[in-house]
Amino acid sequence: MLDSNLVAKGENVSLHFELQHYFQNSLRDKFISAVRNPIDTFFGEKEILKILDGISFEIKKGDRLGIIGVNGTGKTTLCRCLVGMYKPQKGKIEVNGTVRGIFDTSTGIMPELTGRENAYLLARLFYPKLRDLTSIVEEALEFSELGHFADIQFKQYSKGMQSRLALSIISSVPADLLMLDEVFDGADVFFQTKIAERMKNLIQKSGAVVFVSHSAKQVEKLCNRVMILDKGKILFDGPVDQGLKIYLNSR
Amino acid sequence: MTIQEWWWQVYELTLASLKSRYRKTLTGMLWVVANPLLMFGVQSLVFKKFLRLDVPDYYLFLLGGLLPWIFITQTIQMSTPTFVNYTQLMKSFKIHPHVLIYSQILDNFVNFIITFVIVLIPAYFFYGMSFTHLILIPLPLLSLIIAVTAISAILSTLNVFFRDINFILGFCFSLLFFLTPIFYPIEFMPAEYRWMVNLNPLYHLITPMRDIVYGKIENDFFVHLGKSYTVALGSSLISIGYWKLKRNDLYARL
Repeated sequence: MLDSNLVAKGENVSLHFELQHYFQNSLRDKFISAVRNPIDTFFGEKEILKILDGISFEIKKGDRLGIIGVNGTGKTTLCRCLVGMYKPQKGKIEVNGTVRGIFDTSTGIMPELTGRENAYLLARLFYPKLRDLTSIVEEALEFSELGHFADIQFKQYSKGMQSRLALSIISSVPADLLMLDEVFDGADVFFQTKIAERMKNLIQKSGAVVFVSHSAKQVEKLCNRVMILDKGKILFDGPVDQGLKIYLNSR
Repeated sequence: MTIQEWWWQVYELTLASLKSRYRKTLTGMLWVVANPLLMFGVQSLVFKKFLRLDVPDYYLFLLGGLLPWIFITQTIQMSTPTFVNYTQLMKSFKIHPHVLIYSQILDNFVNFIITFVIVLIPAYFFYGMSFTHLILIPLPLLSLIIAVTAISAILSTLNVFFRDINFILGFCFSLLFFLTPIFYPIEFMPAEYRWMVNLNPLYHLITPMRDIVYGKIENDFFVHLGKSYTVALGSSLISIGYWKLKRNDLYARL
């Protein structure tokens, strides 16, 4: 059990994948390569791709942690570990309370159904613990300004409308640990300001927030702590201004 | 997640997918039921009238084997692409991927039950089936649904790594259809070939069901039931193990 002041704690977290040189995406290719080159196929050495390389960290209540780093350094992977999608092969992650992470914002579930029906489904999957979703969904629909579009099929939505719907739903209820992975893309400019306001409100009500972004400006605005990831290791963990300086100079 | 929360998710997903498929119309419902009924009609015509298989109460015999067979193969084939189809959703936020499989299964199961009842009511009156036998139906149904769920979860994961699984599966099922005693009784098979049937898990899932429909509940009914639960348990264990083993790769390869 974690200290009540801690929201999450990672100890020596490592995660890797086996990399295949000749990526076989079908059983037919696998079969062909097994016949041609059986030894390599089954016993050949596999390259290991380390994504997270033994990192340790603590996230406390009130932390607004910005994770920055160039592409492919394990930012999203770390968040997925925290939310419980990935299981690290080594080390352990402990979390106190409800964790919610958002990695993509234009998702619908059943395109043949209406926006409203999709909104209910989305809320059901995103907030598994809430019994009654009506007030949340109706409020979110109101916020999304989709108006009568709420009752047409989701598949007829534009990309921006899909984002509006999903963003409005997922920004409804605060969590003990909230993870936002580049969530501000997608919607149009007008809605972006509006949703940013709502997100800020959500962030304030949530216990701790992990924020992944490429925009130094947004990190500066929203965060009180910065972590720089580089090749699966933590390069820096501390105050925002110092972190951003190191990050921007490292490139 | 608690069991109740699992159930809410599965229930609402199922309801939504039923809705999206039928758009709440009776015609949509008929469409789904028509497929197995036509299959049954054609096969009974060919095997009973043309080939004249010498099996007493052949319609009932065929029905008892064919309906579960259609449920198994259709459900597995429909569930196998589930993870690939829901790629975006699964990567957007955390849901348990098996929730998606369960709702797919439940959806098909509802169809199966409807078809089953539609077919069984006339059969009940024509053949005077025993009501006490029919009460036993939930027993084989439960093992059937557990096994189909487990197999679907395995194949849906496998399908993420090898995208041609469903294609190969269709081919395998059409081979298996002839090698599984569904439209002919196992007694028609020479003894030296019967090992093939013993190794066929689908056969073991189907037999206790057919025992009931065909009204052949004897001592070996419980042996059949035991075998079908063995298949259900075995596939569940494999499915859980496979999920634990492949979870990271699954998300990485989606």
